[in-house]
Amino acid sequence: MRAAALLALLASLVAGSSAPVAAEPLADTRARVLVWHAYRAAEEQALLELIARFNASQSTYRAEALALPYDAYASKLTAAIPTGHGPDLFVFSQERMAVWARDELLAPLDEDAIESGREFPQAALAALRSGGHLYGLPLSMKCDALYYNRALIQTPPTTSDELEALAIRNTDRAAGRYGLAYEANDFFHHAAWLHGYGGQIFAEPTHRPQLDSSQAIAALAFVRHLALEDRALPEEPSGTLVAQLFNAGKAAMVINGPWFAGEVQGVSYGIAPLPIVSATGLPAAPLLTVEAALVSSRSPVQAGAKALARFLVSTEGAALRARVGRQVVATRSAYTFPDIGNDPLLTAFRAASEKAVPMDNSPAMLSVWEPEKRALVSVLSGANSPTAALAQAQRRMLAMTRISPPVQSPWPYAAIAAMISIAWLAWRRRLSLKRVTARVSTRRGELMRAILYCAPAASSILVLVLVPFAIGIGLSFFHRADGHYTFVGLANFIDILASRDYRVSEPMSFWFTLAVTLLWTVVNVAFHVSIGLGLALLLKNPLLRFKGVYRVLLVIPWAIPNYITALVWKGMFHRQFGAISALLSALHIQPVSWFTGFSTAFAANVMTNTWLGFPFMMVVALGALQSIPQDLYEAADVDGASAWAQFRHITLPLLKPALLPAIILGAVWTFNMFNIVYLVSGGEPGGSTDILVSEAYRWAFQRNEQFGFAAAYSTLIFLFLLGWSAISRRIAREQPLENA
Amino acid sequence: MTDVALRGVHKSFGENPIVRGIDLDVRAGEFTVLVGPSGCGKTTLLRLIAGLEQPDAGDILIGGKRVNDAPPRERGVGMVFQSYALYPHMTVRENLAFALNLRGTSRVEIEQRVREVAEMLELMPLLDRKPKQLSGGQRQRVAIGRAIVRRPDVFLLDEPLSNLDAALRVQMRGELARLHQRLKSTIVYVTHDQVEAMTLATRLAVFDQGKLQQHGAPLELYRRPANRFVAAFLGSPAMNFLRGRYSNGHLAGDGFNVPIGALSATFDGRDLLVGIRPQAMTLAGPDAAVLRGEIEAIERLGNEGFAYLKTPAGPLVARFDGGGAELAVGANAGVQLAPESLHLFDAVSEEALA
Ligand SMILES: Nc1ncnc2c1ncn2[C@@H]1O[C@H](COP(=O)(O)OP(=O)(O)OP(=O)(O)O)[C@@H](O)[C@H]1O
Ligand SMILES: [Mg+2]
Repeated sequence: MRAAALLALLASLVAGSSAPVAAEPLADTRARVLVWHAYRAAEEQALLELIARFNASQSTYRAEALALPYDAYASKLTAAIPTGHGPDLFVFSQERMAVWARDELLAPLDEDAIESGREFPQAALAALRSGGHLYGLPLSMKCDALYYNRALIQTPPTTSDELEALAIRNTDRAAGRYGLAYEANDFFHHAAWLHGYGGQIFAEPTHRPQLDSSQAIAALAFVRHLALEDRALPEEPSGTLVAQLFNAGKAAMVINGPWFAGEVQGVSYGIAPLPIVSATGLPAAPLLTVEAALVSSRSPVQAGAKALARFLVSTEGAALRARVGRQVVATRSAYTFPDIGNDPLLTAFRAASEKAVPMDNSPAMLSVWEPEKRALVSVLSGANSPTAALAQAQRRMLAMTRISPPVQSPWPYAAIAAMISIAWLAWRRRLSLKRVTARVSTRRGELMRAILYCAPAASSILVLVLVPFAIGIGLSFFHRADGHYTFVGLANFIDILASRDYRVSEPMSFWFTLAVTLLWTVVNVAFHVSIGLGLALLLKNPLLRFKGVYRVLLVIPWAIPNYITALVWKGMFHRQFGAISALLSALHIQPVSWFTGFSTAFAANVMTNTWLGFPFMMVVALGALQSIPQDLYEAADVDGASAWAQFRHITLPLLKPALLPAIILGAVWTFNMFNIVYLVSGGEPGGSTDILVSEAYRWAFQRNEQFGFAAAYSTLIFLFLLGWSAISRRIAREQPLENA
Repeated sequence: MTDVALRGVHKSFGENPIVRGIDLDVRAGEFTVLVGPSGCGKTTLLRLIAGLEQPDAGDILIGGKRVNDAPPRERGVGMVFQSYALYPHMTVRENLAFALNLRGTSRVEIEQRVREVAEMLELMPLLDRKPKQLSGGQRQRVAIGRAIVRRPDVFLLDEPLSNLDAALRVQMRGELARLHQRLKSTIVYVTHDQVEAMTLATRLAVFDQGKLQQHGAPLELYRRPANRFVAAFLGSPAMNFLRGRYSNGHLAGDGFNVPIGALSATFDGRDLLVGIRPQAMTLAGPDAAVLRGEIEAIERLGNEGFAYLKTPAGPLVARFDGGGAELAVGANAGVQLAPESLHLFDAVSEEALA
């Protein structure tokens, strides 16, 4: 597909151009090996130390490291490697290995495979294989184990029954103590129980995710029992909360990975493998992620990159990473050093990793997380039974991994697009040709200068707005699967509008989300206007003192970046530890689980966004109110108008010219208020509070990277807002500025 | 028919006393005009009556009832603001109908009363315009119409004609007088304009420095001003004043000695302030002149005129008959005065002497 290739190229140009450029080469004639990583602190220090040793040890290659922010790391790699701007060697887990291998971004390392079999655990190597090839050398292994507070637990549990008993014994909700604390609604941690109950994420031999197996239901029922019957788990646990509880001695046991050790302070703890599930006799095998050194297939110095990779996983390299970087290294021989072999943390996690199940590295895994997370949240909040929740998760997962629509020829579409643009151009020319030509011929010099003046702004608008816009629209006609774009015509739009894979009344349907979005917009704007206006009226009251102070205080919510506000409110809505629950308890009202029901989750979003949105309306209303002459109120007073009548007949009509544009604008902002929805409710429960933009985001970045489908969503949002602006322009025009 | 009364009313804005103990009775059906220099508190007084300001002390009575605590809408007053205060988002018709709508008057009646007022004020062709599409005078008429249409017991008008051109002002003055005759409502009317004050008022109240200086029929005030302020404030050109010691039929001051006729013996040897209206002081030939001075300005009105003189007794204005063609600025001239039209004031208190 030439068009698809062109689009992909454009997209990657845009993305790739933002990739960091490595430092200038020094006066060193050795071939440069560029290493990308997202390490911080001790791990980074270990890596840099090893690179320095590597550079000193030979004279052919000179390795250079570049640290990237973790958030954009994966997408930068995906974008940069094909264009040749990427690294030669990079550190990444197996998460995207199959995709990258399929797209031929990775160089196979098969010559190392035989030797590796002795040096590395099978599980680690299995994680790095795809299509019969080995694509990375394992650096470190990350999986869960059981941390326990030695002051509270003498012997760690070996079975799930023991774990449960210990958890119950160490729980005292009144004192805020919990027997067990972990991010139970995160599937990464939950997967251990799935394995312990004999389940698997992928059903064989089809190798498709199967989320609603009977084992999966049993595993979820077990955790549900711990959380809701035993009440031994904290509610809505986040990583920070878990660490806080453990450090305060209020969590006897924690399930977490090796990184958690760095967060523990002032607690004497031990680490044990996760227990054996009593019901099955199988170990609760955690998910294993393997961090590996991967070599770019586009690298001109593959031999050097491979040499460096081998050095990193060598006994010497692994020992240094274990000692300095505190990594649970995969290299077996490193553990022959007594200081490493006897290190309790490293050996404990090494033992755990031996039983762990490597996380599948195929793209199907990427569409497991969101449905699983939603299922876990809904079960642990008591909103849903495990069976129902997992059945829903399965359907959601299937819907997310859409079947590719049939490929279509782009030419009929291109022809229609061309005809429309020609017709439009002809129409425009008819309108303005004469005028323009007349002007051009008379004032050519001036025209040139005008063009020059406009050029910087125009070109940045072109690059920053028009090009991405055009790409976005173009993308919506493509389906992206397995890393390739195929032209599918209007199939994305048809699927969205026909709500093909889900009922209209289900959260993933466009119409449901549209209805929620409209409700969201109307409710928010209503609150913004009424609260903003109310406060403006209060602030205008001549009897009120310290107005300046209030005015500043009331504008503060506006001045704070909205994602910070969102996170703060998210914390306040926490069922157990949130400020709002504390307030409700103080008033002897039962605290609410905000995110288990649509209405409360929606209300939480609305509250947060109202907090953010009223200051704007208040400032607008305040300005407009101050321009209403006081004598109008006096005249109305004499005319017999009550305070309410004055508000209705004087204030409101005179505010309208100022408020109307603010309302129109506010509606658009709210319609697209991604941050609040994404960060506060996160779409809970079950995606029902998601709005159109957050859905579009999920389609693009959380559901198999279906950029085409997401672009179609965005295009629909755009069309909707275009319609809204046309309507609102008409409303605004019917409302001429009346205030003389 | 409702009367309005103020009893010992005080009002300060911050530290500034603006209204300082005013007692005023406005009889029912009376057209009372309040006059006074700018900033003396006339508007404030109207606002106190309307209820837009609260008095610091004293009582306000409307129809015999104390209304200090009643909000404006319960006082039954209609007000025309100095600034008009028309509702900018309403048409003239809506402005006029606003108060009636609020009271739930029937549609038919509103229609009829608006039409009636609009016809009276010649607003018919303007009914569907917004205030900003009107001229100043038209706005003023709408403001008046808005007050009238409610048929309030008491009208408060704050310089309603100040923005009109001279011709329209004369016409509107007539309209207002007729209106008063027709409606027979109580009117309190603030103006700067003496002619308005003299022609419209049933009774005139003169204010200065937050105090009522005098209150009575216009001619009464003109003829017998209670003090120097009232004397100087009413009449055009303003009254002349001579300050000196009286003895023996003469008033003697620094460099002058003017015969003013025989006064009561009690005034002998007393310091007086003597007021003479320019109309009672005429230019005179050398033999008749009692005081001489240099002509500084001449105001010719056609069949008479006024000469502004600098004399040893201070600046004086004197009337002359005819065109005054023989007079010239800078020339010397003498004046004579009619002793029977003198106004005597105490030199210190400046109050009128009986
Ligand atoms: N709200 C107020 N706050 C402070 N001072 C005020 C206020 N309203 C009026 N004043 C002051 O009170 C005094 C009287 O004002 P007022 O408007 O009553 O005068 P006025 O007699 O109507 O003058 P004019 O003939 O110029 O309209 C003025 O000195 C004015 O500055
Ligand atoms: Mg005034």
